[in-house]
Amino acid sequence: MIRPRTFKTLLILAAAVAAWELIVRLGLISAIILAAPSDIALAAAKDGFVFARALATTLFEIGTAILIAWTLGVGLGILLGSSHAWAAAAAPVLSSLFAIPLIIIYPLLMAWLGIGALSKIVFGVLSGFFPIALNTIDGVRAVEQRYIVFARSVGATPLQTHARIIFPLALPAIVSGLRVGTGLVVIGVVVTEMLASLGGVGFLISYHRTLFDTGHVYFGMLLALLVAVGVNLALTRLDRRVGSWREQEEA
Amino acid sequence: MPIIEVTSLAKDFRTGGAVVHALADVSFLVEEGRFVTLVGPSGCGKSTLLQILAGLISATRGEVRIAGEPIRAPMPDKIGMVFQDPTLLPWKTALANVEFPLDLRGIDRATRRKRCSELLKLVGLGEFADNYPHELSGGMRQRVAIARGLAPDPRLMLMDEPFAALDEQTRTRMGHDLLEIWEKTRKTVFFITHSLTEAIYLSETVLVMSARPGRILDTIPIEFPRPRELDLIGTERFGRIRNRIWHLIADTPK
Repeated sequence: MIRPRTFKTLLILAAAVAAWELIVRLGLISAIILAAPSDIALAAAKDGFVFARALATTLFEIGTAILIAWTLGVGLGILLGSSHAWAAAAAPVLSSLFAIPLIIIYPLLMAWLGIGALSKIVFGVLSGFFPIALNTIDGVRAVEQRYIVFARSVGATPLQTHARIIFPLALPAIVSGLRVGTGLVVIGVVVTEMLASLGGVGFLISYHRTLFDTGHVYFGMLLALLVAVGVNLALTRLDRRVGSWREQEEA
Repeated sequence: MPIIEVTSLAKDFRTGGAVVHALADVSFLVEEGRFVTLVGPSGCGKSTLLQILAGLISATRGEVRIAGEPIRAPMPDKIGMVFQDPTLLPWKTALANVEFPLDLRGIDRATRRKRCSELLKLVGLGEFADNYPHELSGGMRQRVAIARGLAPDPRLMLMDEPFAALDEQTRTRMGHDLLEIWEKTRKTVFFITHSLTEAIYLSETVLVMSARPGRILDTIPIEFPRPRELDLIGTERFGRIRNRIWHLIADTPK
């Protein structure tokens, strides 16, 4: 059974796709600029396998970059945040680096690391690292002194204090850093694939654009969009799990 | 042997170029099993003294021995602490908060669960083991903090104005219940407050501290029989003791 609301949503969606198809078919907008839904479906049918392999490449690059960016960002953030002096020294440097449009160093990365997956991963890590580290530092710095005094009074070791008191207290701030940073990792990987690469969804988008295969371009965009939505959905769930006690605490 | 021995203790703080004398020549003894309260005006160095007793900060001069041992660092097995703010971990239930100090020591789940459930019952929160701090009232949170302080079975409980943030009715009730807990456990309690009523009602001995730099002005034995009831606070004798302490603090030239 489909609920009435879901049914209505599907109906609206179907109508939008039909209108879209019609606009292109009637020649109101050139098919080179706007691919009709049928063109996109055709592209998927014709080169679905190529796109699937490209998607696997992209997902691998994004997954690896996320893993490294999270580890480095959170790890370094906790280390720097634990010391007042280090945090004060590092935060302005990290903020300035974050403000630089990182894409300007991509030619260097290509020269050093080639145009394969490695340069995408490194660029993805660089894109995501700064907001994650900065938010982690802020989160750790915001932990109230009374918790540290409590930790000492119950004889917690420095490791226990960090892992079991500071980290959970800083977690909401860390997760908001992860949200921003992970989004930037996805963008970083796809964009560098489009600039110069051997594979991946970004590469296919760029490649088909030069051939005016608009249907293929749109299908690639659709895949990139799905990846971004998927990542965002996972982060929202994480955010909700972590955020629940914090919101209740503040209420 | 006294559980707390404080000898010629002094503490100076350096703030910028100036030196602030927080404590000057403080000496006293506390025998094991007693309930001793330190009263004094705000900012007299009470909390500084407590932090030194807890091994959280070091003294400038003088010596503190806890159970015969000079204190240089916190002694989590000997000293349980309760702060003005309960400082519970918000993502843990009441029971898990009480268990936390034992969890840090690697005590197995079953043992600590059994012990900590009993402690929650002792503080009157047997029904609230699975509630999170945000679901508890201010007084209940402080009860959890007291149970947590008792969890490692320390010999000494240091309490730093634990009821100061509570409303008066809750505060009076908490004091009353704390006495019951103390009578059951007979742990030494060293309690800090700026409320003279609270100090006299709770303790066997009241140490009166001067304004900064903090010194002990007098040690006043409180000889009301136990168990004490709240009506005691309205009696003439109680009032006389309160006046005496009040004058001690007020009449001391700064």
